[in-house]
Amino acid sequence: MFLRILDRLEEILIATLLAGATLIIFVAVVHRYGSGIPLLYPLFIRLHISWAQELCIYMFVWMAKFGAAYGVRTGIHVGVDVLVNALRPAIRSKVILFGLFCGALFTAIVGTMGAKFVIDLMDTDQTSPDLELPSWIVYACIPLGSYLMCFRFLQVAWHFWRSGELPHHDPGQVEGVIESPAAAKGASR
Amino acid sequence: MNALIIFALLIALMLTGMPISIALGLTVLTFLFFMTQVPIEAVALKLFTGIDNFEIMAIPFFILAGNFLTHGGVARRMIRFATTLVGHWYGGLGLASVVACALFAALSGSSPATVVAIGAIMLPAMVKAGFPNRFGAGVVATSGALGILIPPSIVMVIYAVATGGSIALDPAGRRVLSASVGQLFMAGVIPGLMLAAMLGATTFYRAWKNDYPRMPRASWFECWRAFRESIWGLLLVVIVLGGIYAGVFTPTEAAAMSAVYAFFIAVFVYRDMSLRDVPRVLLASANMSAMILYIITNAVLFSFLMTHEQIPQLMTSWIVNSGVGMIGFLLFVNVLLLAAGNVMEPTSIVLITAPLLFPIAVKLGVHPVHLGILMTVNMEIGMCHPPVGLNLYVASGIAKMGITELTVAVWPWLVTMLVFLGIVTYVPELSLWLPRLLGML
Repeated sequence: MFLRILDRLEEILIATLLAGATLIIFVAVVHRYGSGIPLLYPLFIRLHISWAQELCIYMFVWMAKFGAAYGVRTGIHVGVDVLVNALRPAIRSKVILFGLFCGALFTAIVGTMGAKFVIDLMDTDQTSPDLELPSWIVYACIPLGSYLMCFRFLQVAWHFWRSGELPHHDPGQVEGVIESPAAAKGASR
Repeated sequence: MNALIIFALLIALMLTGMPISIALGLTVLTFLFFMTQVPIEAVALKLFTGIDNFEIMAIPFFILAGNFLTHGGVARRMIRFATTLVGHWYGGLGLASVVACALFAALSGSSPATVVAIGAIMLPAMVKAGFPNRFGAGVVATSGALGILIPPSIVMVIYAVATGGSIALDPAGRRVLSASVGQLFMAGVIPGLMLAAMLGATTFYRAWKNDYPRMPRASWFECWRAFRESIWGLLLVVIVLGGIYAGVFTPTEAAAMSAVYAFFIAVFVYRDMSLRDVPRVLLASANMSAMILYIITNAVLFSFLMTHEQIPQLMTSWIVNSGVGMIGFLLFVNVLLLAAGNVMEPTSIVLITAPLLFPIAVKLGVHPVHLGILMTVNMEIGMCHPPVGLNLYVASGIAKMGITELTVAVWPWLVTMLVFLGIVTYVPELSLWLPRLLGML
């Protein structure tokens, strides 16, 4: 139950961040050119969106950290699996588990270093240049995202140990493709 | 010595099949911890500042734009347009596949998705019209890779990012800055068109020799109607290239505008997608972009380690002193990248190799833009050359054909691509002419 809520939260967070960042940059560009139109000028001059670029970057960094955790769950982080897949099944599963634990180890180390860094920042009153957000909030994505990713690696490893299955991402997935003779006829018309 | 340890560690970790980003990160942590006095805490900050760069943000936007238009409906429109254009020539549907792949790949930016979207429709149509299955599979598997070269191209953005901070000196000892995203996009136009033309010529020749069926000539009216339907998608390329060239947007802004435009076209003009599908597209794009951004952060760590150990400088002086000229070096680059293309995906290859190759290439007098296009073409061929190109796997799925048989099927087009690679490698003007003409170099 708790896990399902976490899954949903993660998905909503990264999709919203991506949509939000796109809109912000779109509005910033429209604003820049809109200010040149005399009619809109009085309306636009009062809006300041010089912070748009900075906010967009922060949103994407957050999206990258949490999206990377989501990516472990969907199996999008691919590696070099040519050699591994040629191994005998018993050894192969050991090597794969080793890889997953290395992932968990790396993200745990990074998360801990990030947490120390953020805690040190909390004592200062450092802020970001344009938005003037406290820096520790901005950097909090490193420990949060990394620990979540670590958790996901362990989850995938546990699942692999129990069922022998890894999440798999299909790079050739396209919506609305119909593999049928009717579609073929439509194309050759 | 240190370079050897670093690369041995990296390769050993990568061969266990762990994600490449994790292998890069662990290599850096292990080396810094055991072999140097660099405080590891510096790494945490780098994980944030590594992607704290507005130029990189073009990548998620382009992925989003591509995903909105990566849809069977868009593929069908491109196919109809391509068929009315070239269907009545020799090779008919085969030639139309090449054109449709080029058009669709320009929008979607993903090679495997192009192979699936075009192949799923074109392969049955071609078999029905009397083409051998092999012919169709070969055309689609190779033409699908065009997307990497035709702008907007994510691999080019990654090259610009990966070489952005490098310190490179030209033969005269002056500092050379890397290529910008805009320059690379413009430079990709002519090679992209030329490769499409060469793949088309191979298709034409094979069809002419074997006398494969042709389509009836489409009327001007049909052609115009198909054009009017596909133009909305194709305008995306015009917006990106025109916007960057005219200085209306920065590349990142152009990417964001193209994402909004693609959303608008997909939902309100083409109506392939309803508003309810949008969250799913957002999630898929966020997933893909986060993966790439995560590799970038770790690759930034890795190149920080490289610079710290002065490996690019050492390699540069070693290559220059060994007397290998520009010709030999570029040959080596091609072989290295084609080999790497077999085991890794383009993003990782460019991120790992570009910071190392860039200073050497510049020192030998290679133009940064030329190197970028050269690497992009290599990535493209890597997608479809045996034994393990991703496009081959995807194509074998839709053509219901084994990898071995597909390997035989793709060879005429693969040889064409290798010839093209040779031309791009040794005729830099092919890449440099257009950006120079437009005053961007």
